[in-house]
Amino acid sequence: MRRAIMIGVIFMAFVLLTGCWDRRETNDLAIITGVALDKNKEGQIELTAEIHSPGGSGNGSGGGEDNNQGGVQSTVLQIGKGSSIPEAIENLNEKLPREILWSHAEAIVISKAFAENGISDELDFFVRHPEPRLRSYVFISDGKAKEIMALRPSLERSVSEALIKLAESEVLMKATLFDLMEMLKGEQGAIVLPMIDKLSPEEGQLPSESIAYIHRSAVLKQGKMIGVINDQISRGVLWFRNEINESIVTVEPDEADEIISMNLIKGRTDLVPEIDGQSLKMTVKIVTIDDVIQNQTSWDLKRLDKLKALENELVQKIEKCLTDTLDTVQKEMKIDIIGFGEEFRRHHPKKWKKIKGDWDEKFPTVQVDFDIDARVLRAGKGSET
Amino acid sequence: MFFRKKIKFNKNINKKQQDDKQIPKPLFSNLEKNLDILRELYKECSDVVFRSFLIAGHTKAQLIYIKGLSNVEEMDNNVLTPLMKKSEKRTVNPKTLIEQTLSVAEVVKISSFEACIEQLSVGNPILLLEGDEQGFALGLAKWERRAIEEPTGELVVRGPREGFTEALEVNTSLLRRKIRSPQLKLKTLKLGRYTQTAIALAYIEDLADETLIEEINQRLKRIDIDGILESGYIEELIQDNPYTPFPQVLISERPDTAVSSLLEGRVVIIVDGTPFVMIAPTTFFSLFQSGEDYYHHFLISTATRWLRYLFCFISLLLPSLYVAVITYHQEMVPTTLLLTMVDSREVVPFPALVEALLMEITFEGLREAGLRLPKQVGAAVSIVGALVIGQAAVDAGLVSDHMVMVVAITGIASFTIPRYNLAIPIRLLRFPIMLLAGTFGLVGVMIGLLAIMTHLSTLRSFGVPYLSPVAPMKGRDMKDALMRAPLWKLNTRPHLTGEYNKHRQGSNQKPHSDKGGE
Repeated sequence: MRRAIMIGVIFMAFVLLTGCWDRRETNDLAIITGVALDKNKEGQIELTAEIHSPGGSGNGSGGGEDNNQGGVQSTVLQIGKGSSIPEAIENLNEKLPREILWSHAEAIVISKAFAENGISDELDFFVRHPEPRLRSYVFISDGKAKEIMALRPSLERSVSEALIKLAESEVLMKATLFDLMEMLKGEQGAIVLPMIDKLSPEEGQLPSESIAYIHRSAVLKQGKMIGVINDQISRGVLWFRNEINESIVTVEPDEADEIISMNLIKGRTDLVPEIDGQSLKMTVKIVTIDDVIQNQTSWDLKRLDKLKALENELVQKIEKCLTDTLDTVQKEMKIDIIGFGEEFRRHHPKKWKKIKGDWDEKFPTVQVDFDIDARVLRAGKGSET
Repeated sequence: MFFRKKIKFNKNINKKQQDDKQIPKPLFSNLEKNLDILRELYKECSDVVFRSFLIAGHTKAQLIYIKGLSNVEEMDNNVLTPLMKKSEKRTVNPKTLIEQTLSVAEVVKISSFEACIEQLSVGNPILLLEGDEQGFALGLAKWERRAIEEPTGELVVRGPREGFTEALEVNTSLLRRKIRSPQLKLKTLKLGRYTQTAIALAYIEDLADETLIEEINQRLKRIDIDGILESGYIEELIQDNPYTPFPQVLISERPDTAVSSLLEGRVVIIVDGTPFVMIAPTTFFSLFQSGEDYYHHFLISTATRWLRYLFCFISLLLPSLYVAVITYHQEMVPTTLLLTMVDSREVVPFPALVEALLMEITFEGLREAGLRLPKQVGAAVSIVGALVIGQAAVDAGLVSDHMVMVVAITGIASFTIPRYNLAIPIRLLRFPIMLLAGTFGLVGVMIGLLAIMTHLSTLRSFGVPYLSPVAPMKGRDMKDALMRAPLWKLNTRPHLTGEYNKHRQGSNQKPHSDKGGE
């Protein structure tokens, strides 16, 4: 019995003396849902945090550049400035009455100006600090990043949520912080990130009621932004990287003067590298299955010859898309964002060591062959007129 | 020193009581002398009736019984009427007369005062004759007893609706009606200095371990208290580990549960005066089984069992997990859920731990109130309860919406455990784990769980490890612990209690069209 009492006393001491020192009540937390990084004219970093406002009563609170047009809002914005991200956060902390929780910052928007100066050193904070998630999505904004954060999307509760859903819909590029790190570590340090544009507000709309959307992709080399590719090229890049999930292909056969649209069901890409002495060759093998979703032509797709012709058109269309991509990426930008280097390393690790050093010169010389197998699975119902 | 003195003092008292109680052992042949002693024993007992009469008009005799415990009508018709009938032959021996004319089935010859008292106390009238050292106890006991009803504590959808009652004889008869084999043995002993409560030890010969029966018998005989009013008295005095909150015997009101345990080689202890019988040894997993499991399809029963295990964990851990996550591990909650949690917690003035304790204690209080309440005011409590654990509490800004949900789910979860005596410790242990969660977060929850697991694995119920068949692992017995295998697969008895008669049925009884009979 005495032993039991002793154990009880010790146990109570454990519990009472520690006194919950790590305790963080949610009432004392500022939950950051999204971050925007800008550089202002003085070269300072401006970190705009989108903070969840409990109870949706954030009007006026927080101050700063709080854009609150239009009723109850669930988030507030707060800006911290400093010469580095930690300093900016410290500055932000001073302005906030609550402790910052980074765990739910799932969208990181970096402005173009910021990205052009290099992001790898600054993003180190998000990777090294234990709270931010490696699964948060990274975006590049065309204009100022904080302007994106100031938008009030009509469908989602906050901009970050809208951005996350945009990325997850996989229509175009998406990249998490983890992907970004992988790409930075990769052979080339070549990075593609989704680029957010702001739709210009329609008539009668307030500027903040406009929406953000992903239409282009930003290309970064060694952490510095060097260019932009449009949606078609981005899709081509996705084809090369075997990441294509959503695509609508519209073909216009020569014989028929109208169009046929097809929806991608499945697309798979295999890159087969070959090293033959000094010349490098890459065969791009693509297998894709599509459904017809619209047929404006007079073709009767139930006939096998027309279906074959359509499949041929599809192959040509994809090949054109890929050749365009290659022209831009390989010939103009000369940056390996399509993962050729990685494939060479995997298949020919010993030879790769020799060509690795001058890959930048070698990459534009890689000869690319296509081997595309496209099938149209369902022609769909509908009249054959 | 102090303790030793106290013990000595107690011993003295015991001796004194025994001295006082000394009564002459054998009956005398003098009826008057016997009666004097009995009258002295039962002085100021207004319920004891002494009736003197003449057998066949010549031999003095005395009928003694306790009012309300004996069947007076039968005494009149079958004892007094035939015996008092005057006989022409004067020489007839009263003893042979009793043998010839007494139309009572159970007549026991008694020759000591102790036996007299024993027989009287159970309601059997005593017949004493002049000039005879032997009396007769007539089996005419009859007292008011409750009819066999459906057990209210263990309801089933499918299964027998009869339950044990307060009367020992009824309870043993219920067992005997299910097990007709003479191998069902019933050992009876009396416990309690004043109550002299009858306790029956039921087991099936050649099926239950003899050492187990011997052990239980020994433990029962060790009991020396003034009275036994319920099987709980005995449970506390014979269990292996007296400090643990976990039950080491299974309590049931249902004869079918008792019989199925008997068939597994367990022992059933029936206590007179309570419908709750004790089944020993028991294991942690058998406390999750309901008799109904075996009456339904095995897939359904298996799913139900897993549901119970799941809800047991919920009942034990859900408030703690909520407290730990909301105060320490906000990053573990999906963003959208966290944001709504934060929104509803914003106006709550207390830390999450205090909030949880407040609600859980209120809920426990509400349940306790509902349990003891007269039926007439029951409705009032449910109305108030719905207010306390409900939207009103949220509107008052005392708790958050999510806490109400947590408490409600926890409350439901604790009711899914089929044995009430297991639900109690789980309800109780929820609170220390909640404190641990509030101070150490999930680490604390794990510490608490590990402590409970360690404790459970040290327990034994009458020598059987409490966590068997999981620890120690016995694959063969898993079929009735983690799942409920179909009956045609349950060929063997549980290893630790049924090892002496391993096979309970013929093998290969799976119904199949090849087996004929179509």
